Amino acid sequence: MSPEIFFQIIVNGLFTGGIYALVAVGLTLIYGVMVIVNFAHGEFLMLGIYIAFLGNSLLGIDPYMIIPIALVLIFGLGALIQRGLVQRVLDAHPLNQIILLVGVGMLLVGLVQFFFSAEPKAIHVPYETAVISAFGLRFAIARLVAFFASMTISLLLYLFLHYTRIGKAIRAVSQSRDAARLMGINVNFIYYLTFGIGVAITAVAGVLLSPNHRMIPTMGQGYSVIAFVVVVLGTMGNFIGAFLGGLIIGVVEAFAGFYLGGDVKIIASMLIFILILLFRPAGLFGRKRA
Amino acid sequence: MTAEISKKTSSGPVRDWFRGVLLDWDRTQMLICFLLVGLLALAPLFIHSTYYLGILILATIYAFIGISWNIVAGFTGQLLIAQIIFLAAGAYTTIVLYNNFLISPWVGILIAGLVAGLFGVVVAFITLRYGLKVDYFALFTIALMVALRTLFLKWKYVGGAVGMWFSLTDPAFDKMIFATKEPYLYIALGLVVIGLLVQYRIYRSKMGKYFLAIREDEDAAAALGVNTSLYKTLAVVIGAAMAGVGGGFYVMYVTFIEPPQVFNLGLNVEIVMAGPIIGGLGSLAGPIVGALLNKPFAEIMRGALTGGRSGSSLIVYGSFLILTVMFMPRGVTGVLHTIYCWIIRRFTSEELGDNQNGPA
Amino acid sequence: MALLEVTGITKRFGGLCAVNDLSLSLDKGQILGLIGPNGAGKTTAFNMVSGFYKPDEGDITFEGKIITGLRPDIVCKLGLTRTFQVVKPFPQLSVRDNVMVGAYNRTNNRRESRQKAEEIIEFLGMQDVVDMTAGSLSVAYRKRLEIAKALATDPKIILLDEAMAGLRPIETDHMIDLVRQVSKQGIALLLVEHVMRVIMSLAERIVVIHHGEKIAEGEPQEICQDKAVIDAYLGEVEIDVKG
Repeated sequence: MSPEIFFQIIVNGLFTGGIYALVAVGLTLIYGVMVIVNFAHGEFLMLGIYIAFLGNSLLGIDPYMIIPIALVLIFGLGALIQRGLVQRVLDAHPLNQIILLVGVGMLLVGLVQFFFSAEPKAIHVPYETAVISAFGLRFAIARLVAFFASMTISLLLYLFLHYTRIGKAIRAVSQSRDAARLMGINVNFIYYLTFGIGVAITAVAGVLLSPNHRMIPTMGQGYSVIAFVVVVLGTMGNFIGAFLGGLIIGVVEAFAGFYLGGDVKIIASMLIFILILLFRPAGLFGRKRA
Repeated sequence: MTAEISKKTSSGPVRDWFRGVLLDWDRTQMLICFLLVGLLALAPLFIHSTYYLGILILATIYAFIGISWNIVAGFTGQLLIAQIIFLAAGAYTTIVLYNNFLISPWVGILIAGLVAGLFGVVVAFITLRYGLKVDYFALFTIALMVALRTLFLKWKYVGGAVGMWFSLTDPAFDKMIFATKEPYLYIALGLVVIGLLVQYRIYRSKMGKYFLAIREDEDAAAALGVNTSLYKTLAVVIGAAMAGVGGGFYVMYVTFIEPPQVFNLGLNVEIVMAGPIIGGLGSLAGPIVGALLNKPFAEIMRGALTGGRSGSSLIVYGSFLILTVMFMPRGVTGVLHTIYCWIIRRFTSEELGDNQNGPA
Repeated sequence: MALLEVTGITKRFGGLCAVNDLSLSLDKGQILGLIGPNGAGKTTAFNMVSGFYKPDEGDITFEGKIITGLRPDIVCKLGLTRTFQVVKPFPQLSVRDNVMVGAYNRTNNRRESRQKAEEIIEFLGMQDVVDMTAGSLSVAYRKRLEIAKALATDPKIILLDEAMAGLRPIETDHMIDLVRQVSKQGIALLLVEHVMRVIMSLAERIVVIHHGEKIAEGEPQEICQDKAVIDAYLGEVEIDVKG
């Protein structure tokens, strides 16, 4: 394999990985704070991409301008879902939690399918085929922008979690709910906030994905599964782990896609997933046994 | 099995039989199940539309698969989310045996159960050996499903992405091909009856109590002499074998199979999970009550109310699941149980405990 | 030869040595008390004897057979059953079903199991709650249920882990009585307790552990006067026993 192709694959992998990282960070944030695996996580990415579609086809807005709208909308929706539904099952049997979130996911897919139909859609922007050439490699503008946007958002979220009062409160709750409560932190409020943030940034990932990307209501499931892999790989609840894990999986997938073909590249992630679950369930950043 | 009755009431064989059944919630549930089976058996007399019969047939198959999942997830509490992999194993086995080896589906279904059961042994072994619990167990089964979908997409012998199907030749009993829908309904009902009996026998037996104990508290069970690994494996294998048999019949009914159709979380929720959960996970009547509520309702919603707009059935299923978890965690059967206890209290001098399981 | 022989068991968790070179023996029908301050290693010792932990060193012999490291359910089948400090009922099952799970240890027959369960439930005075779900029971009944389940397994030894914790004095008296009756049936008992009144009135011999090590062993009277025990543990107990 020539160096150009090798690095091109890495670049493509990192671009995809950036999206994965964003989605995974959202999932791991929710898990870290509420100890619940959001089985509907991918659906929020799907919502994001459809919001971009709506904005673009109805109002002609460029998807990147939609990011703040998507952020706010999905944050609100997430907080509501958390408050109304998820909150009730936080201490229930894990099966109930899974069922509830699966139900929420199904409902969201059904609603989108109802209003937008199951036909594949896509939005087109003038710059969707624009490419920068540098170092002998090609960088698609849309994907380059998406990559830097996800890096930026991840960084901002990291700073938020570590340097603001609320961010620290969130981290406190993730470390010990009871201790945080005793310190006067309104844990329930943190829950709404966290879930909202977690799904909102996933929706933003969807918006970033939208230029010329095929969208169907059921696309979220695939991203959910990838997000699970990344989060477990990077240790559940670990922000940096999710971030790096996303990039790693993105690159792994890119190589798998090159050697095996696009429709089966997922097998690489699944193999990694299974291997981790069996041999290092605590992930890269955890102790040997979860 | 009847509790003591302080009021002297007249007795007679029929009265005693009723007392024996109705004062025992388990038996009452079975009565409800068999009434439903009876209703379904009589349905073709009143329903002639092949469309509606088709819905009933699918609902019945779903009830059978639901029972298989109920034994694993309901009785032992193992979060085997992607039970559909066993249905798929059974389905592919049956259709391959039929297409490539001309083996009658009647035999093929049994072999399918065996294959799926063996697969269940493998899955149980891996999850036990590597200590996969709760969330990790659930995620592992999902990963398996996705991995299998990819493998089957590429595996030419089973048709790859195109899948497998068989032509509906002349109806032949030994080929399990029938000209009308009714025979399919009766075969499905036969499976359900067998499933209900198996489920009941397990529930009342030592194995069943051990299953429940494992669900409630695995360590406490071990401390009382329960070989938890063995019984968890047994549950998975029984559930897998059943799902395999169900899968075999499923493929003979729908006549085709392809990876994206069958290795699919949406179908998994629809066939495997929705019924027992809405009906009442862990109860005896849950799977059949749930399946008969779900499928027909979803179809009617899809057809009648929204004029066939896509997504309606998903909205129905999703809402049902959410509502059940929030308001009816023990499912419809749980609600029935509450009503049942009220009736018993009201009309007899019995005071049944609030025990969901009733007298042993 | 003693019924249960524990020789030099040790358990380390990372850098912490929870139990260090602990030895004790229990004869048939005997009641042995195991006391010590919180964190002394009593429950860890129980976990090792009953098969939930594997000792890093040492051996456990039951009826002459080495049972070190055997699975908990096998240990139970052999005749050694333990209860849990924080009771572990099967919440959604009825009291009867709870005890039947224990009874199935010796039989595969539902009728036998049910009969045995009902006998034991009656022995413990719990007939009026036999159909209630274990999760809805009061603390006192739950503690009794814990013993009922253990009894149903037809053991030769029961390890009772703080069976009296959290009970009111009158309930404690009941339990002491029950424990005595269990002992009269010939079952050997190893009791972990904090409530001194209980230990003093029930135990024939007492082993005191502190920081995972045995610091004293003897009859209740001797233990009360042992300086090491008073320094490490009983000194605290003066405050405890006032109620």
